[in-house]
Amino acid sequence: MNGVITVGMADLKTATAPERLLTAGLGSCIGICIHDPIFKVGGLAHIMLPTANGSLGGNPAKYADTALELLLREILGMGANKTRLRAKIAGGAQMFSFPGKPQVLKIGDRNAEAVEQELKKNGIPLLVADVGGSFGRTIHFDVGTGELHIRTINHGEKVI
Amino acid sequence: MEITQFQQDALREIGNIGSGHAATALSTLLQRRIDMSVPKVWAVAFEQVSAIVGQLDTPQAVIYVKVEGEAPGKAVFFFPVESAEIVVQALFGLTEPVDIYFDEMAQSALKEVGNILVSSFLIALTQFSGIPLQPSVPALAVDMIGASLDAIFLEEGVLEDTVLFIDTQLTGIPKIEGQFIFLPDDGSLNKLLGAMGV
Repeated sequence: MNGVITVGMADLKTATAPERLLTAGLGSCIGICIHDPIFKVGGLAHIMLPTANGSLGGNPAKYADTALELLLREILGMGANKTRLRAKIAGGAQMFSFPGKPQVLKIGDRNAEAVEQELKKNGIPLLVADVGGSFGRTIHFDVGTGELHIRTINHGEKVI
Repeated sequence: MEITQFQQDALREIGNIGSGHAATALSTLLQRRIDMSVPKVWAVAFEQVSAIVGQLDTPQAVIYVKVEGEAPGKAVFFFPVESAEIVVQALFGLTEPVDIYFDEMAQSALKEVGNILVSSFLIALTQFSGIPLQPSVPALAVDMIGASLDAIFLEEGVLEDTVLFIDTQLTGIPKIEGQFIFLPDDGSLNKLLGAMGV
């Protein structure tokens, strides 16, 4: 398999077609995939938490807000056109539940909400989201076609 | 979080005593020999956790227990799926394969194993530190290891730049591999170290 670039936890990478981006084992984390379908470049961020809360320093790829900002800057720097950018996201699961404990603020849901909000704020249309559930996901993003391939252990595989 | 060499040694000692008790409990439970590695103390960025678990999407059985009491934290046992199946077979005296993904009996057996291991760990830690600690009800996920660990580490929606945990490998003869990690919550570490006079 040529041109598969691995994105770690709290990491973000960009790629040019026909390269693909891979991130493995998303639980409550979210993979944000963005590409320009005409210029055929894109990127993937594996974010862990909703917001950096304005704190500077640290790793910007860890948080939905700072990661999206950095990802957009890098993709635009490669020559993509902002008005053509499209997003797909996956992840945000709740892997464990404890009986009798209210789960008011599930981190997976909060992550998904934050990512959707940040995309809206930046004017990037979210084409499709595969979020929630109680299972892990490994995703491959083809930056040329925009196809997002999602693999799970016991909940099937799909392309969105 | 900066920790001194002396504190690291104290933590490794916590790991030694606690995991030693847990390994003995597992050995008694399964009626087979269980070896334990020298515990490692890690103070790393969470994104480097993959260094200790290998491939993030390898399926593993993860038993997660919250540590409650005056020095709260988290205790996690994880076994590769094949090892978890052997553990369940050994517990029930089965020779036929078990399905730990869907068989509820197998899953509750695994949770019980986690419960016993964590309780043994906590009893040792309580005796050692004088700080009373209790385990929560155990929760189980059989899924990609990275997915399970990120959910555990990020549960409260905050993450220190550095996470600190004690990591011990348990190896059973034949063919059982497991890993135990204990993560003190922010603040608990100082309490535990303080109680130990470090």
